Amino acid sequence: MKMRIFSKYTLVVAAVAFASSGCEDFLDVNESPNSPVEVTNKVLLPPAQVGTAWASHNELNRLTSPIMQQMAGAAGAPLSYDVYTITASETGLTNAWRFDFYGSMVNLQEMIRVANETNSPAYAGVAKILKAYNFAVLTDVWGAVPYSEALAGSDKTTPRLDAQRDIYLGNQAEGIQSLFDLVREGLADLDQTTNVFTPGGEDLIYGGNIANWKRFGNTLLLKLAMQISNNPEGEPVAKAVIAEVLAKGADAYITSNAQNAQVKFGSATGTQNPVHQWTNVGSFSNDLIASTRYLNRLQALNDPRLPYLITKPTASYVTIDNGQAGSRPTPTTSWSRFGSYVTGQLTPNTSAGGDAPIKLITNFQRAFILAEAKLRWDIGDKSAQELYTEGVMASMAAVGVSSAEVTAYLAQESVGTLSADPTEALKQILLQKYIAWTGNGYELWNDWRRTGYPELPLAQNAAGIDGTIPVRLPYPSTEISRNPNMPNPGPQTNERVWWDAQ
Amino acid sequence: MKRLLLVFILLGLVAEAAWAQRTVTGTVTSATDGIGVPGASVLVKGSSLGVVTDVDGKYKIEVPSNEAVLVISFVGYMTTEEKVGNRSVINVALKEDVEQLSEVVITAIGIERDKRSLGYATQEVKGEALANKSTTDAVRGLEGKIAGVNITGSSGSPGASTNINIRGISSFTGSNQPLFIVDGIPISNNVDNTQNTLFGTQPANRAADIDPNNIESITVLKGPAAAVLYGSRASAGAIIITTKSGRNTQGKTEVVVNSSYNMQQVSSLPKFQNQYGQGSLNEYVANSTNSWGPSFGTPGYDSVTTTWGQRVPYQAYPDNIKDFYQTGQFLSNNVSITSGNEVANYLLSFGNTTQKGIIPNSGYDRTNVQLKGSTTLNNGLIAGGSINYIRSSQEGIPGGNGASAFGQITRIPRSYDLTGLPYSNAAGNSQYYSLSANHPLWSANNELFESKNDRILGNIDLGYKITDWLKVDYRLGLDTYSDRRKLTLAINSGRVPSGEIRDESWFRSELNSDLLVTATKKGLLLEGLNASVLVGNNINQRNSQSVGVVGQGLSFPGFFNQSGASSFTNSFETSSIRRLVGFYGQVSFDYENFAFLEFTGRTDQSSTLPKENNMFFYPSVTASLVVTDMLKLDSDILSYGKIRGNIAKVGRDADPYSTETYFVSPSFGNNVASVNFPYLGLPGFAYSSQIGSNTLTPEFTTSYEVGANLGFFRNSVTVDVTYFSSESSDQIMPVAVANASGFNSRYANVGLMTNKGIEALVNATVLRRGDFKWDVTANYSRIRNMVVEITEGVKDFPIPGNGFGGITPSIAEGHPYGVIISSAFPRNDAGQLLINPSTGLFQPSVAGQVIADPNPDWLGGITNTLSYKGINFSVLVDTRQGGDLYSFSAQDLKSLGAIEMTAVERDQPRILPGVIEGADGTFTPNNIQISAQQYWQALGGLASEAAVYDATVYRLREVSLGYSIPKNLISKSPFGDIFISVSGRNLLYYAPNFFMDPEINTQGAGNIRGMDLNGAPNTRSYGVNLRFTL
Repeated sequence: MKMRIFSKYTLVVAAVAFASSGCEDFLDVNESPNSPVEVTNKVLLPPAQVGTAWASHNELNRLTSPIMQQMAGAAGAPLSYDVYTITASETGLTNAWRFDFYGSMVNLQEMIRVANETNSPAYAGVAKILKAYNFAVLTDVWGAVPYSEALAGSDKTTPRLDAQRDIYLGNQAEGIQSLFDLVREGLADLDQTTNVFTPGGEDLIYGGNIANWKRFGNTLLLKLAMQISNNPEGEPVAKAVIAEVLAKGADAYITSNAQNAQVKFGSATGTQNPVHQWTNVGSFSNDLIASTRYLNRLQALNDPRLPYLITKPTASYVTIDNGQAGSRPTPTTSWSRFGSYVTGQLTPNTSAGGDAPIKLITNFQRAFILAEAKLRWDIGDKSAQELYTEGVMASMAAVGVSSAEVTAYLAQESVGTLSADPTEALKQILLQKYIAWTGNGYELWNDWRRTGYPELPLAQNAAGIDGTIPVRLPYPSTEISRNPNMPNPGPQTNERVWWDAQ
Repeated sequence: MKRLLLVFILLGLVAEAAWAQRTVTGTVTSATDGIGVPGASVLVKGSSLGVVTDVDGKYKIEVPSNEAVLVISFVGYMTTEEKVGNRSVINVALKEDVEQLSEVVITAIGIERDKRSLGYATQEVKGEALANKSTTDAVRGLEGKIAGVNITGSSGSPGASTNINIRGISSFTGSNQPLFIVDGIPISNNVDNTQNTLFGTQPANRAADIDPNNIESITVLKGPAAAVLYGSRASAGAIIITTKSGRNTQGKTEVVVNSSYNMQQVSSLPKFQNQYGQGSLNEYVANSTNSWGPSFGTPGYDSVTTTWGQRVPYQAYPDNIKDFYQTGQFLSNNVSITSGNEVANYLLSFGNTTQKGIIPNSGYDRTNVQLKGSTTLNNGLIAGGSINYIRSSQEGIPGGNGASAFGQITRIPRSYDLTGLPYSNAAGNSQYYSLSANHPLWSANNELFESKNDRILGNIDLGYKITDWLKVDYRLGLDTYSDRRKLTLAINSGRVPSGEIRDESWFRSELNSDLLVTATKKGLLLEGLNASVLVGNNINQRNSQSVGVVGQGLSFPGFFNQSGASSFTNSFETSSIRRLVGFYGQVSFDYENFAFLEFTGRTDQSSTLPKENNMFFYPSVTASLVVTDMLKLDSDILSYGKIRGNIAKVGRDADPYSTETYFVSPSFGNNVASVNFPYLGLPGFAYSSQIGSNTLTPEFTTSYEVGANLGFFRNSVTVDVTYFSSESSDQIMPVAVANASGFNSRYANVGLMTNKGIEALVNATVLRRGDFKWDVTANYSRIRNMVVEITEGVKDFPIPGNGFGGITPSIAEGHPYGVIISSAFPRNDAGQLLINPSTGLFQPSVAGQVIADPNPDWLGGITNTLSYKGINFSVLVDTRQGGDLYSFSAQDLKSLGAIEMTAVERDQPRILPGVIEGADGTFTPNNIQISAQQYWQALGGLASEAAVYDATVYRLREVSLGYSIPKNLISKSPFGDIFISVSGRNLLYYAPNFFMDPEINTQGAGNIRGMDLNGAPNTRSYGVNLRFTL
């Protein structure tokens, strides 16, 4: 009987006691064991740098390399790109916008916040320079983009678009800081000497070398300036900015290949650079083959860089013409593709490794920009010829050809000597810039849109909106549906951006 | 005693004989068909005088007086009384007693209730209707049988998951799968996808672990009112599975054996063209996926060179796709042993199902062992429990668009000898016409997925009656499993060319405790008013952990161990825990067993909500009135009438860890090129794409339901109709934000969604003549869902999950849930398609348009069952009307020129339907001729409305023919019963607007529906089944 009473009530009492006591602690389990809510700049910086490399060198490069006729589309999306058909729903471009540009830049924003909080302005300076670089790519590609209101998270879930003019030049009334001022602000942060934390080995670009970061910033100013110089409103700003940078002296900007702003990649699976991956690895590697036009252009100049820029797996280069229909050459292992300068482990005619750095701002680029500035506006001390040769030599050195080959190359009158005709000279500069920038379709496209050089005949079977080479990308359709500030329908691929006033 | 009775009878007989004894004759017939009922009993009421009718139903009886009353009865008929009066011939037509409408059903928390008292709709399916029906999955066995429930298989892969939605979708981004309860404890029905659902294999949903042979019955609780006691998790309804138990066999041991063998075949291949081969623009192109090449027999095209340089004949291979598939089969065996007496009983069952799929290297294997028992202890405590161990393993190959076997199978040119040419070269690499993909057979043999799941379901039940009116029950349940998975992608596989070994371990555990106190009081306040009160406490904890080692960069072929991999950057670990404490109560009244009223309330406190908002209450009230009893109607036409109604509200908490914004180890890129952190030895963190919110509050669904249960013609026809309307508000979900904000979504309480629907269930005995019986069961459901509002500035956003850019299953304001947003061809105001005057093709499509709605207009199913003596034949035909399917497979077949229709008059020019806009703004019909290739490619573009099809389908879902061997034939054998049957499933279908089987959803169980992204096709299966008892 005693037993019965025990069994009668203990159960009820035990359960009720358990349920009511310590309920709060019992339920206090919503802290994620999986992810942190706060991190340091040391772990924020590497992904932000890799994201920057990915933004311009993954799908954007798969698109610009064929339309700039270094590669030709053999299959998949590049087949459409090659004949100028680009849709607003293109997954690769949508992903770039979402993950590689804005999704990566929000971490630069966080770096600036953490840097201010921890009194570490060096990190803020680095973040601001990278942010300026990324926004420049964004606006160059898409025109007006969210900028001043972007990256604000839940504070601004539908940021407005800023005009490209305002992004480059600033607009005080609208509260838009110019990209130039953003870089200047970054440079000022880098000038500060008191830092609790400074970038170190985790910095995939300079390994924490602050002097080089300043060179990156100043050379970026040169690039931004030149980009807007063909717009009448941009030209005076461009001239002023270039003069401003030159006034800081040659130690302020990039003057050697060792100072190039480039993101480090590895040769192990999972660490390889994007161009190597889509050129040599994976089911999409046969989407692109080297363009016959590119081959002809370099062969016509006897360019010694050719075996490093594209591959020759068999006795001769195997390429197709841009827009060419029909069967592809077989086997695919015979195809000429981006070479080891672009993909890794510098060796002529082969393409392997994946550890080639992704070059954002380079020494040759600086030389060609200054050559153009001298030619057009007579800014600077060095002559255009001097700077032009410096650019070619810098590119040659980066590729790794012998000095004898360089001398022979430059000995060719049409190559080595700038024409007295400024238009012809400009064409020469931009052709060499085009060759030097092989593998960075974004820079090729930027210069071609700005100047029209090198001249590119239309691809076979050109289609797209009106059969012309695209001069901007359509906004991703998903972003149009997410942000009522985006124009719908957005501009077509044949509408020029603000600085494209050729 | 007996002797005494005999004396009385004899005395009575003498007495009656002495008085006005006379003879009455007559015929007893069946009211249904007028045929005589043999063997019916005719008794004089209040006496022991009686006779039985002869073979023709005739009788003759001596009655004591005119005051005597005859009682005529027979099994299966209503007993009838007739006063003799001065009649000497009394003919009686017996009415059939078809349906006992006072049946007991199992409701929430395992409470058994008289169905007549319920104020909400439930539907029960007996185990017999699920076992031996040519499927290994009990949930698939429910297809077409339940009103208001939409069940869709994801593909024909063995073990592939099954989507189930009850009364539509009520949560924007939470799970809309019902809660599964087995023997009173909630179990996991998770899918746990290993890979991106766009590419991966299709893991099973865990409810498929239950052996259909072990199921006694399944009760579906459809609305929130029915499920409110289960709390927030049952807001999408509940499926209550009761497994078979031991019973009182008076100490004897009974053995039941069930065996079935089934074969499976691909059921849905379209008709291909066999006139034109590989190529484009009438030219052979060796690496082309197109079949727009020259027609067979074109001079100069006797043979062609493959991409690897081999000369092969240029001819049609009509079965090149069909031959990829094989005949699948599955064998199921189940043995159960049961024994019991008045005090204790047990059941031990063992079952195994082994399946080989239609796809090479695919299969499914499940072993169940269950021990269940209960006993009444000397002190009055009733103790029961069950333990069920389930081992299920699944093997398959990854599907999905692009580099998978299924991605390729629809892209095989008609002249490619898929199974005849070797699929690999001397180096062991794929040898295939396409340079960017692998041969599907190479994929099938080199890309393998395997899952081995060990699961234990256990429960303990204790019950004690403290007094006559007070009862305490306690139930503790555990569901825990660990799933070990291995995905191996050989070197040079399409998805990961360096090769990948993915070892994953998924663990889930759920502990659930329920304490219930029930009090019943009869005759409360007035005679006939009864009341009962139930108070309960529920504690629930769910744990999960998934750990994966993902090794890439394999060192050499054929060795699939992590020690052979060189990069591990995709490895992961995720764990979660959530807890919930709930208190609930129910007060029920019934008056004279015809009027019922019930109030229910539950308060939950959840760990997943912000602390200050983590407690929430939700009530329900239900009422039902049996009108026929109240009015004491006794009509042969309306024999039973009940009306019912309810209002219920149910709350739901958030997913764990929704209240903060986190940093994650990021990755960049897509399927073209990608990189992951840690990278080059450096750790990396970046914002996750989701913004958390510390102001979340619970989301609620409020529903109204009215219905009626009607029985006609002495209940030989019963009708159960329900109208319901529900409103889901304050949905906790990641709302899309512009990516330019740096994020993809933010958690918030937003939105309003409604569901309105009608469901009906009709059971009828159409004919009963002697031993022959024809029953019909039909169900119908029609649900209209509407996303009324999301939040300011957000008109639509993608359903969380994996999607292709530009083809987005979405939640869009003013549209039903799950519409697909993609590009549509531009049209003029009159709805005519606009044609580009310079090309004759459609104008560039406009993004962001709703192009497909996967929600069906209505669903219906009819089961006809014919039985005669031991023979039973049943046929289930169901239909799904309307609803769209977005099909990659179909659009591939059209634009690639592989399907039969693309070969019809291929040499003739064509004109796309549409109009051309003139300079003056007028429209003239399109008259620009284009080639057949241009035409079909224009009508088959990806990410466009051309890939959308109406998924209406009629299906012969189930057929079975069974025979129970008469007991007298086996009475001398050891067998108690022997039942043999043949069954078939999905034998035929007719889809008027689609050239394949539209029942496919390659995203698996979940909220994304209506997407066919190159999955395994459906199967038809048929087989034989044997059941016997010893």
